[in-house]
Amino acid sequence: MKAFTVMIKEIIDNLRDRQTVFYALLFGPVLLPLLIGGSIVASLKQLSIDFDVVTTVAVENRSSAPQLMEFLYSNNVDVVDAPDNPEQAVRRGDVDVVLKVMPAFGDNLRAGQPAPLTLFVNEADKESGKQARKIRALLSVYERTLNNLRMQHRGMDPNIFNTLDITQQDVSQDGAGGQLLASLLPFLLIVSMVMGGFYLAIDTTAGERERQSLEPLLTLPLRRRDLVLGKFGATFCFVLLSGLLTAISVFLLFKLFPTDLLGSNMRFDGITITKAFLLASPLLVFISAVLIAVSAFTRSTKEAQTYLGLLMVIPMAPFFALQFITIRNAVYSMPFPMLSQYQLLERVVLGDAIPALFIVLSVVGTLASAGLLLWLAFGLYSKDRILM
Amino acid sequence: MIIAEGLHKSFTKPGASNKEDKVVAVNNVSFSARDGEVTGLLGPNGAGKSTTLRMLATLIKPDAGNATIDGHHVVDDVFTVRNQLGFMPHNAGIYPRLTARENITYYARLCGLNKKATTRRLDELIEQLEMQGFIDRRALGYSQGQKTKVALARALVHQPQTIMLDEPTNGLDVMATRGLREIIRELAKQGHCILFSSHIMQEVAALCDHIAIISDGTIAIADSLEGIHRRTGESDLEDAFVRAIGEQP
Repeated sequence: MKAFTVMIKEIIDNLRDRQTVFYALLFGPVLLPLLIGGSIVASLKQLSIDFDVVTTVAVENRSSAPQLMEFLYSNNVDVVDAPDNPEQAVRRGDVDVVLKVMPAFGDNLRAGQPAPLTLFVNEADKESGKQARKIRALLSVYERTLNNLRMQHRGMDPNIFNTLDITQQDVSQDGAGGQLLASLLPFLLIVSMVMGGFYLAIDTTAGERERQSLEPLLTLPLRRRDLVLGKFGATFCFVLLSGLLTAISVFLLFKLFPTDLLGSNMRFDGITITKAFLLASPLLVFISAVLIAVSAFTRSTKEAQTYLGLLMVIPMAPFFALQFITIRNAVYSMPFPMLSQYQLLERVVLGDAIPALFIVLSVVGTLASAGLLLWLAFGLYSKDRILM
Repeated sequence: MIIAEGLHKSFTKPGASNKEDKVVAVNNVSFSARDGEVTGLLGPNGAGKSTTLRMLATLIKPDAGNATIDGHHVVDDVFTVRNQLGFMPHNAGIYPRLTARENITYYARLCGLNKKATTRRLDELIEQLEMQGFIDRRALGYSQGQKTKVALARALVHQPQTIMLDEPTNGLDVMATRGLREIIRELAKQGHCILFSSHIMQEVAALCDHIAIISDGTIAIADSLEGIHRRTGESDLEDAFVRAIGEQP
């Protein structure tokens, strides 16, 4: 009951603190998904080339290669005349690329020699690079067609140079970009949970010591364990709120995602996000416990911010590590908080089946770690040191 | 009634690598404070006043010695002691984002007062400490005097028999100090036992019925003001203080 009184007081107190409210309600749930989700969408859009979209390409000396121009036109490329100084124009960004048909093009082609073409591209400019890749891809199709024609003309089977017939089948259900997108959900959810409780935990523990309001509080007929539980409860509420809002905003964000950019099996619908949130929910307890235990250990808000700032690497670590490491047998990583939720949430997003054992291990491991941390915080508050 | 007998407390030196490397804060402190009286714990900075008060207020445990508040042991009977004790630390320690009313209500609820009792008690305290002007304003912009009043109201909210004030006049102007003195005298008259720590001679001389002079963690002398004058042979408390702590006047 007294723990509840402490909790309500800390919530009211911290709702009046702009910094705490900003990080709990805006940073994690709104800013972070927009910044990270937005930039990923943008980069995916830049990487993917859409051959169905009609684009315009500047070509110098186009009259020397009428058939090539015809080919480009039939492949959704509108050809226009190039500016006078193509190199300058591309560098300045007036045009994305310029294709220059060299004077020897027609003669070489007729003589059966390699016909020279120059493509001006600015690799520092992503749009230019993308356009160049598209043109190169089209040109190589054109080249293959010409090769085949030349060989048939000389009575040869064009397949004579196709010594290998390689078929690559991607068995992953999502493709390479998919894993990154799939790990985005746990990343956003976990980081904003941490940020949601970050300042409240610091304010209620290290902040209380710094303001020297802890001393009179501890002379009240109140068990120190109730005090810690109250502060933990208040932190939990903020972590929960921040997590919930982030789940909602991720759901809305992925509604705006172009579906063709997501892997065929990726899902960010309401049911998936709800499942993911439930699987991540033991982390609400764990993260609150980490925040309270660490900031209870520190003497000032500044010290707490330093330690917790370093700890912020931990929720991000699995995100980066899982980009490089493949954990084949996930059962060993399931008892570890954060790591297990990353993997479980990825599976949910990718629509993979999750064995019940994984869920049990993840929940038990995470809650046990949280219990241990809370027990540590109780211990810290029962020592004389808390008042020094 | 507070009785302290042979209290001892030492702390590990900050930054010491060896845990045995200790500094003695309080050594063999014995004194008593009676109900209906103001007892002053007088001593220079770092003499061990705050450590003594903290032990009596159940905040830290003494390494050796005994202390009782109204017969209840401060280590074994923590909750009974806390129920009968109002403690005000040397800086008000109030919550700046809460109003005075919220600050006091928080303590009332933690002391187990229900809603109705809290409201009634708050009305009494607002009247007694003249807090009408700022009771519903957030504490961030309070003057030192206003902060002290809120902290005192918090300490008094559960009507404790024993009240401990750690350097309560720190940072107060003349009028606020006089006002606080009046309140303390009134509380003593009502029969409360008041223990008051200070390093200011005039403060103690003006207010206290009984004085315990503490120096280097030990009680140098404990008596009434007249008793101290008589025993040291000095007519001025400052000279008596200097003599009592063993320096040449």
